Amino acid sequence: MEKSNEEKQLRPGLWATVNERYPGSMITKTDFIPLAKLIKPLAESRLSFVSTSGVQLRGTLPFDTAHPIGDYTFRAVPSNSKTSDLEIHQLKYPTAGAERDLNVIYPIERMQELAAEKIIGELAPNFYSFIGYNMDAERLERTLAETIADAVEAEKPDVVLLAPA
Amino acid sequence: MSLTYLKEAVDANDTEKLIRYVRLHFGDGDEDAGKKEIDKAWIEALKLLLEVPATEREFIEQTIKEKDAETLAHLYFRLHFYFVARSNEWIHDGKI
Repeated sequence: MEKSNEEKQLRPGLWATVNERYPGSMITKTDFIPLAKLIKPLAESRLSFVSTSGVQLRGTLPFDTAHPIGDYTFRAVPSNSKTSDLEIHQLKYPTAGAERDLNVIYPIERMQELAAEKIIGELAPNFYSFIGYNMDAERLERTLAETIADAVEAEKPDVVLLAPA
Repeated sequence: MSLTYLKEAVDANDTEKLIRYVRLHFGDGDEDAGKKEIDKAWIEALKLLLEVPATEREFIEQTIKEKDAETLAHLYFRLHFYFVARSNEWIHDGKI
C-alpha cells in the first residue's frame, strides 16, 4: 500500500499525550506510523477486521482476563459467524450493550450486510479479536501484534478495519 | 502502569507500588475498590468453610506439590475473581 506523508498523519502528538497523561502506563512510541491509502474501490476490496473487544467463538478457551499482566493471545473469528455463535470475555469495558447487540462493539452483521450488498467487495475468511488489557507493551507489539498482522496478511485483505473496545 | 513500572518496583522492593498495582487491577483502576474486592474474595472463601464441610484436601496438597509456582500464581488470581463472582457483588464492567 502507498504510504501517506508524515505531515498528513492524524493526531501526530498522540503518543506524547498518552505518556504525559499516564506516566509509566503506556508505551513510548516515537516511530512514525504511516497511513495507507485505499488503492482500489471498496466495492472491489476484501475487508478484514481486528478488534480489542474480546469477542470469541462460544466454547473456546476464554480470554484470560484474570492474569495481572494480560493475555497475549488472539482468536480468529470466522467472518461468516452468527452473533449467536459468539461471546465476549473482557473485564475492562462495559459489555451490557454488546450483550444485547454484539454489533455495537463488533459490527459483524453490518459488515456481512455490506458485503452482501456489494458495497464491500468481500470479507476475509476470518476476523481477529484480542483483549486490550496488556501491561507488557513490548510483548504486545513483538508477539501479539506481529502474529495478528501475519494472520491478517495471509488472507490478503485490501482493507483492515481496526476497532478498539 | 507498565510491566517496566512493576519490574522497577520489584527490583527496588517497593511494596507500596506493588500493592497499589494489585489493588488497581482488582478494582478496575480504583485503589479503594480493589482493596475491598480483595477482602470480599477472602470473606466469600471464609463463609464457605464455616461449617467445616468436607473438602478435597488430597487434591489441594497434590496440586500445590505437583504444579509449578507460576501456574499456582495464575490460579490464585483466577480464584479471586471466582470468589468475587460468588458474592453477587460484581463491580466490573465486563465479565471474566
